[in-house]
Amino acid sequence: MKTRILGFVALAAVIGAAINGLFLVPADLNQGDAQRIMYVHVASAWIAYASFGVTALAGLGYLIWRDLRLDALALAGAEVGVMFTAFAIWGGMMWGRPVWGVYWQWEDPRLTTTALLLALYVGYLLLRRLTDDPARRAARAAVVGLIAAVDIPIVHFSVIWWRGLHQGPTIGDPSKILHPSAPLLFVMALLAMLGAFTLVWVYLLIRRYQLARLDWQREDDVRRGRVEAARHVIVGATGAEEPAG
Amino acid sequence: MNDLRRGLAVALAIARKDAISELRGRQAAGSTLFFAALVLLLFGFALGPDAQRLADAAPGLLWLAIVFGGLLTVARLHQLEADDGAFEQLALYPIDRRAIYAGKALAGAAAMLVLGALLVPVVAILYAIPIGAAWLPLLVAVVLGAIGFAAVGTAYAGLTVRMRAREVMLPLLMLPVVAPLLLAAVQATSAALSGDPLGELGSWLQLLAAFDVIMLVVGAGTYAFLLED
Amino acid sequence: MTDAGFVIAAYGVILGGIALYAAWLARRLRIARESVRRRDADVDEAG
Repeated sequence: MKTRILGFVALAAVIGAAINGLFLVPADLNQGDAQRIMYVHVASAWIAYASFGVTALAGLGYLIWRDLRLDALALAGAEVGVMFTAFAIWGGMMWGRPVWGVYWQWEDPRLTTTALLLALYVGYLLLRRLTDDPARRAARAAVVGLIAAVDIPIVHFSVIWWRGLHQGPTIGDPSKILHPSAPLLFVMALLAMLGAFTLVWVYLLIRRYQLARLDWQREDDVRRGRVEAARHVIVGATGAEEPAG
Repeated sequence: MNDLRRGLAVALAIARKDAISELRGRQAAGSTLFFAALVLLLFGFALGPDAQRLADAAPGLLWLAIVFGGLLTVARLHQLEADDGAFEQLALYPIDRRAIYAGKALAGAAAMLVLGALLVPVVAILYAIPIGAAWLPLLVAVVLGAIGFAAVGTAYAGLTVRMRAREVMLPLLMLPVVAPLLLAAVQATSAALSGDPLGELGSWLQLLAAFDVIMLVVGAGTYAFLLED
Repeated sequence: MTDAGFVIAAYGVILGGIALYAAWLARRLRIARESVRRRDADVDEAG
């Protein structure tokens, strides 16, 4: 029930933040309307990073405490994170075409890092699908989640150096991209979108977690059902043999 | 102190065992090398006969060939164990899991180093790259790259070896992780070959070394969880 | 495509995608809850 209320609040917040970003905030002087994409793009990227942080920490927690609830949380983080990573890339491409003239810019470290991020966690989700035993799946996934998490900063630095050692920074930090011709309004719009996305994120994490718990409960029942059925067969077989012996 | 020495002995014993089985089963290691050399030959066809273009691309092509060959190498080193159920036996011994990881990673790094050291002259001949004085930084880059690849590869091969669809899953999981290694190694190699005019060689080698250390620590710390299942 | 076109494409896919995912989650949750409830009913009947 509480989660449902959270869902409605999140929905209202996203609609409000979207209307604000699309219609109320003025267009940027340099980038025009394309600037509006930044609100959803940056918010998606931040949420994606937060999700993978949840996955890494929950995985680490699983390895320590061996609680499958933590594994369910790790799964929720990875799946929601993959979705928001894809959205961040999509938003970046839709922004890049009108502003840079190209969809893909190899020189932008964040874009390249994000693409690798997507590959890392799609692999994580595939790995989970290919392992049936819950404890084994959780342990393998936790290890992959940890390796991916320590890999992300290395990827980021290497890609920054890749350009940095050859030329000075051209397309730089978020403050430059937000290009303030009306700075306060833009930052406020971004923060509003970020807040709305955070509400949605928490809602989706809870729902995905609940689904994982229910799915596993059913898997467990099926497995136990098989054991039960097998026991009946064995007991039946020995029972039939007894009178003969 | 005693534990450390014992762990070291275990690691060396495992690495030695892998090295012996690699040398006895020469065909497997040989065909991996042949495959990597073939990849280099095919890059030549793909990029056309323009010598300059091939020379420009040579560092990247070299490391792609090492990565492809390396995927086969780390998979093979773990397949050996899994085929005979040796992993289960290994897991039963009362020894530190980190020592097992260190041994497998050492064997993997040695195999990768041989692969890399043999591929460098192939690249030099096929793409007409004069190596000359660059051999020392090149060697350092190959050694660091081999260690890093083996550090990641040992963990992921241990993870996928008893999995369905492991032939696909190993590269799929591993390639994004070694992407920064590939980037740094290629940059270091091209800096070394061009005489390092921008003075960036050291930075890339440091990045490679940092990658190695981080992945070795994470791999050693998590390998136990992969063995126990 | 005009700038507005790119803005619509970005917002449409991202917000629409979130909505679709939320709906998919809700649907699967409902099915899962239903099946767990049915199983509990079976168990009660048998026991």
